[in-house]
Amino acid sequence: MDFMYYGDILIVDLEAGTTEEVEIDEAWRAGPVLPAALELFRRHAQDNPLLLGSGILTGTTAPASCLGFVLGASQITGGPAVAPLDMFAGAEMKLSGFSMVLIKGNSPDPVYLWLHDGVADLVDASPITGKDTWRTCDAIREEMGEQLIQVVSIGPAGEAKSDLASFSINYWGSGDNAALGALMGAKNLKAVALRGLGMIDAEDPEEFYNRTMDLLRGSPSKKGFDWVSRGPEDEGIDAWLKPLAHRHRSCFACPCACNTFVKYNEDPAVMGSDGVQEPGLMVTNPAAALWLRQGGWGAEGACRAMEAMTRAGIDAVRGAREMSTGPLEDPTEIAAAVEALTGSAGAAWPRGEGAGSGIFGPRTPPQGSEDRWLEVNRAAYVLGICPLFLVTSGVELSELLELCLPAAGVEVDAGGIKEMFDRARA
Amino acid sequence: MTAVRGRLGKAERDPVFERYRKAFLFAGPNEGRTTAYPRVAVYTGSGASHSWIWFADLMERIGLYDITFIVESDMSSGGLDGFDFLLVGGGDTYAMAESLGGDGARAILRFVGDGGLYLGSCAGAYLVLTGVDLEPFTPFRLVTGEMRNVMPDPPKPRCLDHKYLARYGEEWVFHPVYGEVEVGPGDAAAGFPCFDAGATIRAPLFGGPIMEGAHKDEVLARFSGLSDRAAFLWPRGDVLRLVDGRAAAVVSSIGEGTVVVSGPHLEHPLFPGANALAAEVLLRHCARKGELGGGRHTPGRGGDKPVGGEEAESLAREIRRQVSNARIVAFGLEKMPVTWRIGLKVWEPEKVRMFLDYAWYRLPFVAKRAALVSPGERLAHLAGGYGEVTQMARSVKARIESGEDSQAEAELLLGTLKELTAAFLSVYFKLRLQERTGLPEKPRTS
Repeated sequence: MDFMYYGDILIVDLEAGTTEEVEIDEAWRAGPVLPAALELFRRHAQDNPLLLGSGILTGTTAPASCLGFVLGASQITGGPAVAPLDMFAGAEMKLSGFSMVLIKGNSPDPVYLWLHDGVADLVDASPITGKDTWRTCDAIREEMGEQLIQVVSIGPAGEAKSDLASFSINYWGSGDNAALGALMGAKNLKAVALRGLGMIDAEDPEEFYNRTMDLLRGSPSKKGFDWVSRGPEDEGIDAWLKPLAHRHRSCFACPCACNTFVKYNEDPAVMGSDGVQEPGLMVTNPAAALWLRQGGWGAEGACRAMEAMTRAGIDAVRGAREMSTGPLEDPTEIAAAVEALTGSAGAAWPRGEGAGSGIFGPRTPPQGSEDRWLEVNRAAYVLGICPLFLVTSGVELSELLELCLPAAGVEVDAGGIKEMFDRARA
Repeated sequence: MTAVRGRLGKAERDPVFERYRKAFLFAGPNEGRTTAYPRVAVYTGSGASHSWIWFADLMERIGLYDITFIVESDMSSGGLDGFDFLLVGGGDTYAMAESLGGDGARAILRFVGDGGLYLGSCAGAYLVLTGVDLEPFTPFRLVTGEMRNVMPDPPKPRCLDHKYLARYGEEWVFHPVYGEVEVGPGDAAAGFPCFDAGATIRAPLFGGPIMEGAHKDEVLARFSGLSDRAAFLWPRGDVLRLVDGRAAAVVSSIGEGTVVVSGPHLEHPLFPGANALAAEVLLRHCARKGELGGGRHTPGRGGDKPVGGEEAESLAREIRRQVSNARIVAFGLEKMPVTWRIGLKVWEPEKVRMFLDYAWYRLPFVAKRAALVSPGERLAHLAGGYGEVTQMARSVKARIESGEDSQAEAELLLGTLKELTAAFLSVYFKLRLQERTGLPEKPRTS
């Protein structure tokens, strides 16, 4: 690829403890995007691979270009599943110096993978084994000496290969509703840490920049979760969290700051920090909060439970569903309840349009038909644009697809994307 | 060239360098060309800041790869013999003068008298001005010129207090503008292509001298205007009145040799026009001289043994790993509100990454030819050195984050980086030179 990606595909053999770089298959004209990863997934199926990659526009000036992907076999669905690599991790994946990463086999000893500017290091993770995701993130960033390193890690739930396990992105919950965290645990892979200082070339930089700025100027700027509500029962989540809300934060390059930081160990009115090291949590997935609210939980208790689940590396959405029957307030009781979930079998997310279909998880709201829902998700991952932005911003999908020409010199349309997935038999 | 992208990469690819690459690349006394292929010494010793790497960058852009990085002890021990250019960049002039001392000054004088070219910018310019006449500068006076930017009681600056003043006896050297300035041709630049059709060029002034008193025929460039890409420590009108028409660069002949001094950094990698002015001076010196010291020099064929291919590759990978790790920490350092004063020079954290970048963007070239590096221990030295740099950078950062003083650690880090960057660039340019002189691609193996 001359544009939008640089570097080869990295193949990490955990069993042998080796890394190898292979050239990108020219057949993937649109780039090493998700369908290409699915093809690699099938080719290496016997090695139970885990793949990380990004979309064509990920990490650029295109609005909401935060989306990368993690792909692997889900132990709860039995097939390949995709989880979003968002916030700032998708962009960092793009800049890591590798166009895609395939991790095969299982490591005999705990390791973490450190990807930096085209260098791949397998690092001994025994000092951080057993640590929760927050301490894991701290330890890796301290070891490498930089706070901007993006850390995709698992906690005790992942190490226990729990069906409820989910990888976290830095300190916060991810959209991994398919137990890819358990797959990382099975591989003895505690984390993948990402950092790159490179730059990406566009085929026509000026045209690309101007178009993306036009789109950004025409995009809505929103805060909180209500605007991405999945239906009437979802509404009011912002009001529910409001007494604790401290700030809203967007993912990379997104004009919509849906992630909501809540403080419950410190007055939310304190702008900075009043000496409290861990004042609260970034709520990144409203579905978890909704389950708990529907179960009668108060906002503070719910946020404490979500924190405990995120730290343990439990999918807060599915964990919240398990916990929604018994509202708790006492932090000690909440911690004990979450600990009981670690290692729990848990239940798979119900499948169906809007609740996860095919290889995709349930983050995107229903779109009226399963075909349309799949189309949105496929396009989102190929482009590297957040699906929530795609369905709520008012920016036409075609406008984003047209960016692929000045970006990468390739023409991509919705039909072409479907063909890519069909070829990859996804 | 290197794989730098963005503004720096664009400057690097500027067509202006083609003229000089052609002139120098094919130069050589045995080839019947008009100029010989010069040997270049770049001063990296005490007092030198990071800007000497800009000189290395400029040499590469114009196709000059026979570069040696020298320190003060090299100069006083006859280490300038056989070189054609001595390039001295910015830094702490007091530290330079003190460490070079009388022996260093005599060595420079002998070098120029024997037909060498001295090119000094910023501190390297102050060092040899006749107008700088206190100890420890008195032995160095080579170029007639007074500093205009000196006074006993300068007014308070509007910004950048830490960049404003340096003690000069009972007076102060002051810097009223910091950043890009505009310069036009002086009489000595007649026929210089960079000033064709009355053109002016832009160059950054980072504390260099604003000069007067030079002979009219020796003024190479005069300050002719200001730019919005500068910080004004004085009101802009006052700055213009101070600098307008004053000498920005002066060239002087001493015996067979040439001395060029410039307040602005003509070697700065983002200013191809200024680079062209410096390159033209070098080229004209060569054309005037014909046979140069470099003609007597056969580089790169030492009897040192390279390491084996596999080991060399492994060491090159380790260098890449460590430089990457260090750059990532260095990027984080840049966000920190801290500076370090080393001697008279204020160092900002971004200088750490600047050193590392010069190695980073040249690493692919070295990695491909790692098996040719001789002696092979050089690679091991670099790998170990950059590993230490990574640890030092992490330690500096951790100290800053925990509110502790980082001065001593930062001083050690920057000093180590300076030495290591010179060592890396020595390897790099040796390989470049080997390619230019057509040495075999494959190493001799034992």
